[in-house]
Amino acid sequence: MNYPFWEVPLVGGGWLIGIVAILHVFVSHFAVGGGLFLVLSEIKAYKTNNNVILNYVKKHSKFFLLLTIVFGALSGVAIWFTIGLVSPQATSALIHIFVWGWAIEWVFFFVEIAAVMIYYYSWEKVDRRTHLAIGWIYFIAALLSMVIINGILSFMLTPGKWIETKNFWDGFFNPTYFSSLVVRIVTAIVMAGIYGLFTATFLVEKENRQQIIKYSSKWVIPFMLILPIASLWYYYTLPDIPKEIVLGGISFVSNTAIIGIVAGFLIFLLVLIMGYFNTRLFNKFVATIILILGLTIMFAGERVRESIRKPYVIYDYMYSNGLLINQFDSIKEQGILKTSKWSKIKEITDENKLQAGEVGFKLYCASCHIINGYNDVKPLISDLDEETIAMIINDLENYRGYMPKFAGNEAEAEAIAKWLYQFNKENRKEQ
Amino acid sequence: MESQVIIPDIDPIPVPAPLWLLKVLLLLTFTLHILAMNVAVGGGFIAAITEFLGKKRNSQNHLELSRSISKMLPPFTAFTITLGVAPLLFLQVLYGNFFYTSTILIAWPWLSIIVIFILAYYGYYLYSFRWEKLNGKRFAVVLISAILLAIIGLIYTQNIVLMLTPEKWKEIYFNNPHGTNLNISDPTVIPRYLHFMVAALAVAGLLVVMWGLKNIKSNEQLGKWGIRYGLLWFIIPTLVNIVVGLWFLISLPKNLLMLFMGENIYATIYFLIALVTMFASLIFMFIALNAVKPVMKIMFGKVFLLLTVVMMVLMRHELREAYLKPYIDWEKVQVEPQWGVITIFVLLLLGGLITVIWMLKKSFGKSSLVVHN
Repeated sequence: MNYPFWEVPLVGGGWLIGIVAILHVFVSHFAVGGGLFLVLSEIKAYKTNNNVILNYVKKHSKFFLLLTIVFGALSGVAIWFTIGLVSPQATSALIHIFVWGWAIEWVFFFVEIAAVMIYYYSWEKVDRRTHLAIGWIYFIAALLSMVIINGILSFMLTPGKWIETKNFWDGFFNPTYFSSLVVRIVTAIVMAGIYGLFTATFLVEKENRQQIIKYSSKWVIPFMLILPIASLWYYYTLPDIPKEIVLGGISFVSNTAIIGIVAGFLIFLLVLIMGYFNTRLFNKFVATIILILGLTIMFAGERVRESIRKPYVIYDYMYSNGLLINQFDSIKEQGILKTSKWSKIKEITDENKLQAGEVGFKLYCASCHIINGYNDVKPLISDLDEETIAMIINDLENYRGYMPKFAGNEAEAEAIAKWLYQFNKENRKEQ
Repeated sequence: MESQVIIPDIDPIPVPAPLWLLKVLLLLTFTLHILAMNVAVGGGFIAAITEFLGKKRNSQNHLELSRSISKMLPPFTAFTITLGVAPLLFLQVLYGNFFYTSTILIAWPWLSIIVIFILAYYGYYLYSFRWEKLNGKRFAVVLISAILLAIIGLIYTQNIVLMLTPEKWKEIYFNNPHGTNLNISDPTVIPRYLHFMVAALAVAGLLVVMWGLKNIKSNEQLGKWGIRYGLLWFIIPTLVNIVVGLWFLISLPKNLLMLFMGENIYATIYFLIALVTMFASLIFMFIALNAVKPVMKIMFGKVFLLLTVVMMVLMRHELREAYLKPYIDWEKVQVEPQWGVITIFVLLLLGGLITVIWMLKKSFGKSSLVVHN
């Protein structure tokens, strides 16, 4: 609670990151899998002397370029911008631990961007072998950037031995590193097929269109079968509390997981029936539905992954509100108002108690609970009296919803309770 | 008494590299970023004006040039982004507690950069891919994209200045914690910003000169015109930028202005070298304007310009350090270098560069490399 708190109305900072991240992963996984799709399709076209596939790959590569290089790259930057605003303390920690990981990822990013442009601009300008080599360079660079960023992302949920050793590699190759990497790679290949199905529907010639639709289906079907197995493996590598959350500990998380599973099942059915067996039924509408279902899987995956980390932003190291676990005791001694740099109020008096409660709430609670917005506390406390609210605050970690321990003192809990009590139904009637 | 300046504590996790290494990488990648940005932004404005003049004068030369620039804008925009990510990364390790705080104060304008950038970037691709079809709309499309990119620069400058002036944060935040502030009222922001933007026109002008040189063999008339036209784009903005630079200098708080007047030996030396190299590049370009064989003069002009850019980046760095001097004690920053990972990074960086050069050589050959450099 070192940084000023940025108030984001309605959705709150968490969802702001979520929205940006979901859109980004929807394109970035395509950017990885789609690279393999381009190269392998180009090889197939040369080997079988198939001009239909070759012409399609050329067209598809333009779509690929425009989507990944502009939206893909900038939405990635957008995640970085957003996390710095919403969780500056966590972003700072990640950058201090992994700056060289990011620097390495940046090298791959640079090669990736250069390669995809050259790949697109050099169709027919270079011989086939060279063009394929450039395609491979693109795919490998894109894959490696995923291999790197996955280490940093999975670290946040399972920092593993890093908590004790503070060693780069312990954090990077953490307990969920490999399982989440496999989930991501399989997802990337599925996405390649899903986007392939979409662009295929824009081919004018009916026979060509059906040929490519059938071809793209083969990218989706087998990997859509592997995805649940990979996800299950990921689940087994999770620590106990996240497992518990997925299995109903927090109902919206398990519901979200179910939405993801249903969306995956629907994609599988649609692609199998209309993409592979009855290709003539496949059209732009179906392709768009499948894309939306693909986005739904991304939504579910990201949301579950982010939610099972509660109440931490970096597990066992930092709470979502930026509080460092190893500073908990010293903060508890002095209180959150006094130790927060950006608190207007440092001492609670009878006159400022209400305002102190509001400040305390913003500092400690508002990174997850948005008044009149997402995860609002108002409905949760509308039947409670002031004392009960204070009691819950002091005993936060034992209350429902996987909340952090309260680092404030008694007076602060009372002040926050007093402020929250305004939202009590009966209290409002009286006023 | 409560202190008037609030600065977040530096991260408890040690910095994983020697500070000098991070600073060198910050300045190096920033220099490259700025050069790419100059072409992406300045080139957009030059393309727009060239479109306009071409139509007005019904000139084939202008048309040829704008067509060529249209092809360069998307790749240079891509390089602006990729080369911009690196300095932003190193900036956050070194000055994170300043940068995150100032960014939070202007959160929404800062985030709007992404949306503006996506629009501008697609505009450039539209201009590039649909050059023929757009015809009458070309001027508007490329101009709007260039203006959008220029707006991003203005947001950046505001943040980069705001992070250097922590004494302003408290008042701004307590008046408005919603992240909808700006920092446009700081007297150094506008001149600092214009100093970058006018320079962008000059550097992009040099790209036009290089385009002229490349074309001179196949079409002498076009090539000569291109060289002259590009040189004017270099010379006029550079002359204007001398005035803008002076404005920026006198807009600085007096103690910081004095850095360049002998107070700080490095800052003063960089400033003097920059003055010399800037005038040298101007003189060479002036001579090239009417020279029969301009190639070597332009070469020297380019080298001196590059030196000027490097000096400007170093001066900017000294200025930043001076702004933050009361608030950072570098001696107290904990450093624990991760040499193993640093070595891997350096090796991969070399490998990456070789790979990109190989791809460029293979696909564009020698002649086009000039344009794509």
